[in-house]
Amino acid sequence: MPLPVETHHHLKPDWWLRVRHSIAVSRHEPANVIAFILTACFAYLILAPVISILLDAIFVHTGDAGRTHQDEGAFTLYYLTRAFMSRMSEIILWTPLYNTLTIALGTVACSLALGVTLAWLINRTNMAGRRWFASALIVPFMLPSWTFAMAWTTIFKNRTIGGQPGWLEALGFHTPNWLAYGFFPIVVILILHYTPLVILIVGNALTRLDVQMEDCARILGAPRRTIAFSIILPLVRPALMSAGLLIFADCIGEFAVPYILGLPVHYDTLSTGLYRSLDSRQNGVAAVLAAVIMIIGVITLLIDMRMMREARRFVTVGGKGNMDRQISLGKLRVIAASIPMAFMLIGMVIPLVTLFLSTIMTLPGRFTLSNFTFDFWIGHNLTTVALRNGILFTPEFWQATWNTIFIVGIASLCSGILGLLVGYAVTRCSFRGVSGFLRHITFMPYLVPGIAFAAAFLSLFAVARGPIPALYGTPILLIIALIAEKMPFASRSGIAAMTQLGKEPEEAARIAGASWFTRMRKIIVPIQAGPLATGILLPFISGIKGVSLFIILAVPSTDVLTTYSLRLLDYNYDQAANAVVFMIALIAWFGTLLIQRISGTHLAQGLES
Amino acid sequence: MPTIELKNLTKTYGKNAAPAVNNINITIADGEFMCLLGPSGCGKTTILRMIAGIEHASSGEIVLGGSVVDSVNKSHFTPPEQRQIGLVFQNYALWPHMTVERNVDFGLRIQKLPAEERRARCQDVMEKLRIAEYANRYPSQLSGGQQQRVALARMLAVNPGILLLDEPLSNLDATLRLEMRAELRRIHETFGTTIVFVSHDQWEAMTLANTIAVMDKGTLQQIGTPDEIYATPQNRFVAEFIGNPKINMIELSKATDSLDKVADHILARLPECAHADTCCIRPEEIVLSDRPHSHTIPMTIENIMPTGGSWVIELSYGSSRLFHSTQQRPSWRVQEQVNAFLPAQALHFFAQNHRRLTIDTLQDEPLKRLNRSNQLKSKRTFEPHHPLNQPVNHRV
Repeated sequence: MPLPVETHHHLKPDWWLRVRHSIAVSRHEPANVIAFILTACFAYLILAPVISILLDAIFVHTGDAGRTHQDEGAFTLYYLTRAFMSRMSEIILWTPLYNTLTIALGTVACSLALGVTLAWLINRTNMAGRRWFASALIVPFMLPSWTFAMAWTTIFKNRTIGGQPGWLEALGFHTPNWLAYGFFPIVVILILHYTPLVILIVGNALTRLDVQMEDCARILGAPRRTIAFSIILPLVRPALMSAGLLIFADCIGEFAVPYILGLPVHYDTLSTGLYRSLDSRQNGVAAVLAAVIMIIGVITLLIDMRMMREARRFVTVGGKGNMDRQISLGKLRVIAASIPMAFMLIGMVIPLVTLFLSTIMTLPGRFTLSNFTFDFWIGHNLTTVALRNGILFTPEFWQATWNTIFIVGIASLCSGILGLLVGYAVTRCSFRGVSGFLRHITFMPYLVPGIAFAAAFLSLFAVARGPIPALYGTPILLIIALIAEKMPFASRSGIAAMTQLGKEPEEAARIAGASWFTRMRKIIVPIQAGPLATGILLPFISGIKGVSLFIILAVPSTDVLTTYSLRLLDYNYDQAANAVVFMIALIAWFGTLLIQRISGTHLAQGLES
Repeated sequence: MPTIELKNLTKTYGKNAAPAVNNINITIADGEFMCLLGPSGCGKTTILRMIAGIEHASSGEIVLGGSVVDSVNKSHFTPPEQRQIGLVFQNYALWPHMTVERNVDFGLRIQKLPAEERRARCQDVMEKLRIAEYANRYPSQLSGGQQQRVALARMLAVNPGILLLDEPLSNLDATLRLEMRAELRRIHETFGTTIVFVSHDQWEAMTLANTIAVMDKGTLQQIGTPDEIYATPQNRFVAEFIGNPKINMIELSKATDSLDKVADHILARLPECAHADTCCIRPEEIVLSDRPHSHTIPMTIENIMPTGGSWVIELSYGSSRLFHSTQQRPSWRVQEQVNAFLPAQALHFFAQNHRRLTIDTLQDEPLKRLNRSNQLKSKRTFEPHHPLNQPVNHRV
């Protein structure tokens, strides 16, 4: 007698029913589908390049068979040994590592000290013009850091290397090497660049402090110094730490500034060393250097996560009593304003003016009327070998400008939208493993030096693989690489925005019967319009001034402003190069004003997250 | 109007965690006004969210109006957008980028109703909830009570058969609470909607609901009318959770150590309840008198706390503490001696497993012999015919 079929149903294990039910539930949760698609996408765009970089460090490369005495593609410790334990490792790794770390630590220490002072002056005192400074001091951070480097060389360049001399040299002063190149100028420029970040983050923390905590200490009779050191400082310490680690991680991967100020005198950092290794086709050693940078990044990040966990103990920060109380500086309030004023002068006005002046002077450093000319901007039929018109009349310049806006624009549009989608998927996905993976993978590019990332992209996508055609020389490669590089910022701000929004507004729309597209169109996107705009504009600005991706991936047909200016520099058209850099700075500046126009606070939040 | 059936409903978060909702079976009839009452974290909001479809069941089944909307065994799940219910969130979840009118209109737009009808219905529901004058304001420009009315209007505009409310009165001040309470009752009557709401506040539950389901730690403790829940708590948790001031809990099992003199007294007076674990009496059921009697306990007045129209009196006897509440201004002073009588009919007994015990034979001697000079004037004097004072004779 056959068994009734029904019993089979009852024999089905409990977990199977649960899985089937979960599938039935997930079918109506598009966040899961989005999460899976995004995960697959980023696994290919981010994880694959990173893995390929790491593998490059331990497998024999084409052409290295003779040197390593191993077959091409075989597992080898040659590159690791060469970088860490050979006669060359002093030059390849240890000196650049020492240089990198001293630059990073020096920058962090000085910009924290300077930034905290300025943040305090702006947020807690009645210093003259504090409101104006609050927005103006952010500008140096939005300008490309290598603008400062260019301005620096314009003034301080000496006869150690060839080309046009610096202004001081032209005026008859001899600038010593330590002032013209290497550690000192790099650190000064990075300090100028990152101090605004400290002002933003610490200033935010200062304004969010509950004034009652300070009042309480005062009622108990604590003197002002005790309050500052035992109440306020510990409470803003997480913000300080977070700012410090952020700057540290950024400095480790910094490429453009040491490229301009260090490379000419062989002052190597890890990232310029990486670039040189790539340039001389030592991909294995380059991979080792990239791995070292990544490891430093991971360690920094782990410390940061630990700090953030600690910071959560201070959830009481952010009470209702906002600290809008100001300390009266009395007669000092005008004198105090000279500190931020000096910072603005050194950090913004002098570099930009220098750059601009350098573009209208035929010979550097000669301040006579006859020496000034607008030829480099609007000249015709100049007597130069190439570039016979001013850059505003040079088609290449406009082509590069258009390329920049087109490539960076599309990339930042995509990364802004993808960032919001990542935020949506991470906060809504019912599989915690997937959402955690997505969160981490989108943050990964932050740890990978842009140069190494670009190199990996080149090797992965230069040839046709599977369904993806060869992308080298196309704008698509640049766009994809840019998207991947900007994902850390985009996804962080997307996740922050979606977490802050919570699920309820969307749930309410679901209850009202709205489909997923309606919910996105009518609820999520309109509410998140501000963060979304910031999430598009921030990558746009940092993309315009980016160097490392373009220097590897751009070809003449996809020339962008940065590579165009660097190429002009290589051919010693300094004035034209500076003119292009000046234009980049202007675009970045106007972009910043636009963001601040759209939302003053989002900018600070976007940078902090 | 549909009924709501919850069958063996269980919700577990994570693999080894204790279930947030554990095997709940409740049928909520058409047009009922039901409250899920319990302390925070007891799973009541989870149930509400599962009915709405924002959460899904880990096992069991939810049936709305005869059709299964969530069933693990049948591998079926209807998403919230297709369930046609209303849910008012605890913090309202108004859409900040839309005006009041757009918020209310949203559901109607989804249903693709013609513009005039939409406008008419919006206007109607906004007038009913007295928010028509704020139609063009944004949620951030409204007070908490106004926001809540917008949240309600948003759901009522589409006229759902079932309305779910998450802590509807909790974010409101005292005056608004009273107003909203009346409002919700009116809505229930005029719209005829089945309403389920969640609360941790017994006052809210008692004053609003027709039926109360008391929950604790994910399990259903008791379900019944407010009167039933108050008069015959089916277990110790319900007895302790319901009532303000809290019910007096007398541990009988500890009496052997003669720690609690009141327990000693009860065991001596009512030997038939010796197998009970605990004994409870509501503060207002205690009868105080000046003159002692064989069934009274001599107690000291420790504290007299006026609570506006009524008084709470703390009594002590050795280490025992009892609370008495009365609407009669007490004639005693602190530290004075009184005699407390605990009427047997007003006593609730619970077994070791915390279940209610029924002791049929409990009956006190007639009360005539007591000096009731103080109590007779009180509204809450012992009335043998009062339903609360009928011999306790319910199923366990």
